[in-house]
Amino acid sequence: MFSTALFVFVSAISDGSHKQIIRSSVEIYPGYMEITNAAFEDDPSFENLIFDVQKAKESLQGIDGVQASSVRFETYALYATSEKSVGGMFCGIEPENEAKISRLKASLVAGEYLNSDDTNALYLGEELAKRLHVKVGDTLSFISTAADYSFAADNLIIKGLFKTKLYEFDNSSAFVNKAYFDTVMKSQNIATHIILSPKDIEQIDATTLLVQQVLSKELEVKNYKETMEDLILAMEVDSVFGYITLGIFFIVIFFVIAIFAFLSVYARIRQIGILRAIGTTPRGVMSMILVEAMILGTISVGIGGAVSAYGAYYFEKNPIELSSMGDLDMEEYMTQYNMVAEITFPTDFNPSNILIQMFIMLLLNIVTVIYPIIMMNRFTPTEAIRYV
Amino acid sequence: MNFLNINGVKKIFNEGKESESIALKGVDLTIEKEEFIVISGPSGSGKSTLLNIIGGLDSANEGSVTLDGVEITALNENALALFRRENIGFVFQAYNLIPVLTVKENIEYVMRLMGYSQQECDARVMEVAKELDIDAYLDKLPDHLSGGQQQRVAVARAVASKPKLILADEPTANLDSKNGEKLMALMQKLNKDEKVTIIFSSHDPMVIAKARRSIVLKDGLIFEDKVR
Repeated sequence: MFSTALFVFVSAISDGSHKQIIRSSVEIYPGYMEITNAAFEDDPSFENLIFDVQKAKESLQGIDGVQASSVRFETYALYATSEKSVGGMFCGIEPENEAKISRLKASLVAGEYLNSDDTNALYLGEELAKRLHVKVGDTLSFISTAADYSFAADNLIIKGLFKTKLYEFDNSSAFVNKAYFDTVMKSQNIATHIILSPKDIEQIDATTLLVQQVLSKELEVKNYKETMEDLILAMEVDSVFGYITLGIFFIVIFFVIAIFAFLSVYARIRQIGILRAIGTTPRGVMSMILVEAMILGTISVGIGGAVSAYGAYYFEKNPIELSSMGDLDMEEYMTQYNMVAEITFPTDFNPSNILIQMFIMLLLNIVTVIYPIIMMNRFTPTEAIRYV
Repeated sequence: MNFLNINGVKKIFNEGKESESIALKGVDLTIEKEEFIVISGPSGSGKSTLLNIIGGLDSANEGSVTLDGVEITALNENALALFRRENIGFVFQAYNLIPVLTVKENIEYVMRLMGYSQQECDARVMEVAKELDIDAYLDKLPDHLSGGQQQRVAVARAVASKPKLILADEPTANLDSKNGEKLMALMQKLNKDEKVTIIFSSHDPMVIAKARRSIVLKDGLIFEDKVR
């Protein structure tokens, strides 16, 4: 019962944390699918941009699998205050659309998020604000190169600060309304990325294919499995280690159950000798003990599975929060290693997985009694009756 | 044809080891149907071993045992168990009842294995239980009964399925003389009424005196075979 509960719950935590890490990494900013100029990845210069955003957006309209889209223009700028200058990402976004495809808006920690009427309003990473020694309402200047390679500069008022918990991102990023950005950066109808979010993440490969089919040849679409290949690989490697751990766990469980099964069968060897003496066949003994193991196994696996399934369901809705472990501040600790400072770990409640795991445990339970029964049936009834 | 033929049965325990001991050195014996026999002899003479081999509970190293035309020493474990179920009832010195089953369940166990219906089992259990005066304890567990009562339950279990042969290994050894005599009277009655062949092992003079045929074993061989 405990083994089943532990097995199901550990698997749920492992699957849940993998999904959480991928979801967080994708949703914080990068997005599930991105359209870029086909040459942009190899040469991310102003020569390889999306030069007709309107046309690209129109071509996406007939695709049912796309839930939302948002246009971005990412470049770099030098931010300066009266005391400090710091370089960082300077990005024009469509505030309303961006809110549908990333967690930028949800990451607001001070001031306000951007809106589509904003001019000279900056949405700044909290860590970058610390480096610049600025706060909401302060003014800073930026200088950058516009899309037509002219000089671009302006004063910006900090409208809001965000904290995504991805330290490097918070430490180097700033956003303005795309309409304003286009004016100062000479980038009307031009973008580096169009980010898409799918209606069904499970169908993302099919949706990616559909999008590629409607795009013009100079554009390409990639989903997170390609853009975040390293992360997916890391999760797969982690899963392999997870399976190895699970394998060790299985071996331990197998031997624990086997020892109990062995003791349970051998404790009744005299009784079984009597049953055989009065006419129960060795095959009958095997069926009897297997049926008993199945009944007891079903009850214990059922209880263990139900308890852990409830746990997996509950912690999916109310993720486990690891804000601190003793004196260690988890968020601070993860930030030091430049990890997404997620401190909540939801489990993955997947009924079919849980049923499969329960079935495996039941099977394990039954398999473990076979060897002791075979051993016991080697005794003659007389030997079994006299067995001490 | 004889009911039971035992030809040159040898039994060696721990053969080839330092602790090797020869329990039976080549026993030849024939028994007819409905006989009431006691096998006696000193401890270690091979009484229990011979009964176990006749009942197919243990195997012989040499020789053969043929019961009612079937050579049981040639049967495999499954066939042997089925043969025991259909033909042989056992009464053990230590009763050997199943402690987790009630008296009724113990008595009807073999019948259930043989496929009797619940009604048939109920009727036969009641008949045998009344005969043995244990009908008041049918719903009790064996541990709640006295030694004498438990041995009567063991006899009831042995006779309930109407076997052709009952083997009883020192059935009175754990009983006082009064209960021992009662049990023997009961076995004699069953032998007469149910026409069951009964073979005892015992060194109790009272039991030996009641048998119609007495076989004495000594050092693994038949020392004496007397019919009264």
